[in-house]
Amino acid sequence: MSYFFQLVTSGIVVGSIYALSALGFVLIYKSSRVLNIAHGQIIASGAFITYALTVWMGIHIAVSFILSMIITFFLAMSVERVFLRRLIGEPIISVIMVTIGLMSIIDGIIYMTPFGSENFSFPEFLPKVPISFWGISISWTQMVGVVITFIMIGAFTWFFKASTVGISMRAVSDDQFASMSIGISVPKVFGLAWATAGLSAAAAGGIIGNITGLNFDVLHSFGIIVFPVVIVGGLDSIFGAVVAGIIMGLIQQFASGYLDGKWGLNGTADVLPYIILLIILLIKPHGLFGIHEIERV
Amino acid sequence: MKNKQVTFMLVGLSFLLMLGFSAQALAGETYPIALSLAITGPTSDVGSPYSKGVEDYCKYVNDEKLLGDDKLECFIRDDGYKTEVTKRNFEDFLDEKIVFYLNYSTGSTMAMRKDFDEEKIPTLPASFHAGNLVDSTYVFLPISSYSSQAVGLAEYVAANHKGSGKPKVALFLHPSAFGRAPRDDVKKAIAAGLNIDLVEIVEHGKDLDNTAMLQRFKSKGVQYVISQTVQPPVATMLKGAQSLGMIAKTYGEAGKITFLGCHYAGGPDLIGLAGSAAENYYWTTSYKLMTAPGPGTDAQLALAKRYGRDEKVAQSQNYTNGIMVVQVAVEAMRRAKTKGKKVTRASLYEEMLAMNGYNAFYPLTTVGPVTFSKTDREGVDTLQLYVAKDGVFHELGLPFASEYVKKIK
Repeated sequence: MSYFFQLVTSGIVVGSIYALSALGFVLIYKSSRVLNIAHGQIIASGAFITYALTVWMGIHIAVSFILSMIITFFLAMSVERVFLRRLIGEPIISVIMVTIGLMSIIDGIIYMTPFGSENFSFPEFLPKVPISFWGISISWTQMVGVVITFIMIGAFTWFFKASTVGISMRAVSDDQFASMSIGISVPKVFGLAWATAGLSAAAAGGIIGNITGLNFDVLHSFGIIVFPVVIVGGLDSIFGAVVAGIIMGLIQQFASGYLDGKWGLNGTADVLPYIILLIILLIKPHGLFGIHEIERV
Repeated sequence: MKNKQVTFMLVGLSFLLMLGFSAQALAGETYPIALSLAITGPTSDVGSPYSKGVEDYCKYVNDEKLLGDDKLECFIRDDGYKTEVTKRNFEDFLDEKIVFYLNYSTGSTMAMRKDFDEEKIPTLPASFHAGNLVDSTYVFLPISSYSSQAVGLAEYVAANHKGSGKPKVALFLHPSAFGRAPRDDVKKAIAAGLNIDLVEIVEHGKDLDNTAMLQRFKSKGVQYVISQTVQPPVATMLKGAQSLGMIAKTYGEAGKITFLGCHYAGGPDLIGLAGSAAENYYWTTSYKLMTAPGPGTDAQLALAKRYGRDEKVAQSQNYTNGIMVVQVAVEAMRRAKTKGKKVTRASLYEEMLAMNGYNAFYPLTTVGPVTFSKTDREGVDTLQLYVAKDGVFHELGLPFASEYVKKIK
């Protein structure tokens, strides 16, 4: 039975990190209806900034982690200002194409640094002995990751539900022209959406980098890995990202734990999320918690 | 008077032309070689130091006149680990009349084997997949194949297992031709009498957590995991195993797992990624590591210093890998020249095939001699086992050659 609960615990841990990684997609889509293809690159950048601050500048990792989120907040805001501000009102596909270009630019910049082609790991600052209870083990890195994830998800949920700025962002997502007519600055909202997405991506990068080590390929691939999470949860739902993240984490762990190695099966943890994605989209095309818009003509 | 001036000018011009030609003749010939590899994109952590090794050794050959008055011209291009780009690069290199080619990935080597044969160009890839040699006569593997490495590790496990019964082993493989390369040969070795119990073969994904897999291994009594993949998934697995308290502190410790890996699944970079979780990781390669002092390692460190490389590159086994393939190409050129042959693809191919017995090549960057023949195009046949202790890989025992690989060939 402890095997089952170990898989549940690991599934929740992995799922919550997926949710945090998916959050950046949701935050941008929620306010601007744009899918940021360069999200994985921003996750990687956040992790590398944390490393550079910690190892090269000698700042404590906890402080570096927060500083990296702040730096990425402003970097993402600048990216929006320079590359995307001019595209407000243009077809969404044009904006998505720009994010594809952005992905190549960030790739190029990172390949010019040691992070593009070398491996690094964060200094070990947490106890190596795992937290164990009822035959279940969880590493301190994972535990800290889960706590940070839930704090951030809670904060963003409150922000969108209760704060004026958050409500403005939701209004812009619903209707840009109507929002402008009531005095909401759409450009500022877009900038803020990118900035908050950058902040959450930096947090995700820091946590993933602590678990896997810092390898550019691994880190930026999380932009794609969490894609089923975003689609299943609903592109515009933070709660959906959390639920879908945990569902995906659990599916992967159960698939790996109960299917792999039996009946000649292998690698089911990688395939099953996409099968579930297809099934859910067949039943609910807007994802589990996505808003189904009805246009009256 | 005019006639005299014209004659004088013609004599002067002829003299200048003669001088030009003789200067060219004195400057010697230039032998173009080329390398296409992933300096960016997937596996660039391997490709980057590899390309630096090739680049530096080419410079060294020219600076130290290792080919006398002749020069080596080295073309290096990034292909981003994309086979179609590798093929395009190769076609461009052919226009440069290259006499020797250095390829990189398993995928592109497998895909372009026929091209190498058509062009009759000796090729050394960075991939050690035995499949590269099938249906091909011009591809040479620099060191023991992945199969030889994995079977060699399995033999080590069988010979040094602590405890009763057959040691239970799992294979942790990259989901590609590169990863699957040794799978069938390990099975063949078991069928030929290798005393291990192959409990499971796992092809990993981009996992954030390997708890389920590791717990499954534990429930099946797996004591040894042999990895044939790249370093990042091994690092994630080791970190997971560390957090579950599963890593054996001593080789074969009962109730724990001893992790072992082939060339690209280990090395100093793995310690960079996995930190303390890489402690007690067993790794094999045919290259000499910089932690083992000797003339080869001293020369490599000096080379890296001379061309301004940092410590990390200087210590990388992939830098060694890059140096070694150029060493082999240059040795073939040197031998062809000594025999009075013109350095061409054909003469280099002949020299590669003759590199055996008394003519084996000792590059000092490997743990054994480089030997090729018509029936054996795997270069270094010996392997060295290394173990990670206190954040450094140390040699363990003497170089060895896999016995079962000979049996199953």
